[in-house]
Amino acid sequence: MQKLWLVLVIPSLIFMIINSPQNSILALTQAGSDGVSLIIKLAGIYSIWLGFLALIEKSGLDNKIASFLSPIVDKLFKNTSKEAKKYISLNISANMLGMGNAGTPIGLKAMKELNKDHKSNIASLPMIMLVVLNATSLQLLPTTIISLREVAGSLSSTDIILPSIIATTVSTLLGIVLVKLCHKWKKHYGTQ
Amino acid sequence: MVLSSLITPILIASLLIYCAIKRINCYATFCGGVKNALSLCLELFPFIITIFVAISLFRISGLCNIVSNLCAPILSLVGIPPELCELIIIRPFSGSGSLSIYENLLSTYGADSYISRCASVIMGSSETVFYVATIYFAQTKVKRLLYAIPVGLIATYTGTILSCWLCRIM
Repeated sequence: MQKLWLVLVIPSLIFMIINSPQNSILALTQAGSDGVSLIIKLAGIYSIWLGFLALIEKSGLDNKIASFLSPIVDKLFKNTSKEAKKYISLNISANMLGMGNAGTPIGLKAMKELNKDHKSNIASLPMIMLVVLNATSLQLLPTTIISLREVAGSLSSTDIILPSIIATTVSTLLGIVLVKLCHKWKKHYGTQ
Repeated sequence: MVLSSLITPILIASLLIYCAIKRINCYATFCGGVKNALSLCLELFPFIITIFVAISLFRISGLCNIVSNLCAPILSLVGIPPELCELIIIRPFSGSGSLSIYENLLSTYGADSYISRCASVIMGSSETVFYVATIYFAQTKVKRLLYAIPVGLIATYTGTILSCWLCRIM
């Protein structure tokens, strides 16, 4: 992460010094205020979903959802605590239903659970699997995009649903396969 | 469309009814859950600002435009219209950034053009890989992410190429 950050920041700053030094303060302060407004927005969204999550947990629905998804989750997340698997199942189902904003705080809780019995500072297989699942998008109905298209005057705003489902399924499956392959490869050749 | 907007209210209503039947104190439980939201956001706060600094400098310096111009010929080789370069470069970093580029594409090329449809499928089938990796790993003490980001990017960009192909035939 550190390398990537510097690779973006340093060349951008050098380019700015040459071309448009007057923009640098604007860029930096805008980053700050955009970040803060995103955090405030997220605080509102997460409040709501963490509230409902508490209800799901208290009612025992979380265990039901977890056992419903356990055939998949058990396969992808071996040697993971029951608590973590529960959050992972909820994260996957929220994402698939198109409630990505609800999925994120639950996914973060799952990550915290995975971290509990993890000693080293190298990412574990279940951690990587969860991140890749979330990074390749599990959402089946892109509702935000459909409504934006409608606002922009589209006559057939829903014709992107099928290609989106195909593309996201392929990318998620590819992500899973690659994670498994990389894990095998790493085990075979030892940790670098 | 109508169906998808029904999902959330129906699920929440059923959840509340289920909890009420089970005689759970919904009010207190909901409050208890909300309690953790702010501390979660405080944990994410430094990471989000740090990503935003990089993205903002990259875009406002104009370097983003240059990189996307450089990438255009390579992307058109695999069937991605060059107009989508900027969107594809920003997408893994920033949800709000890619959304504003996407809206720009919609208004420039019209919502039903090939370019806008490709952009829609790309937006609908991908996620902000770097952002997700950053905030998820922020919850752990892990320093080395191994292959998490490369795998996420390869899978996402395969989805991107596929999106453009699908839009051509569908």
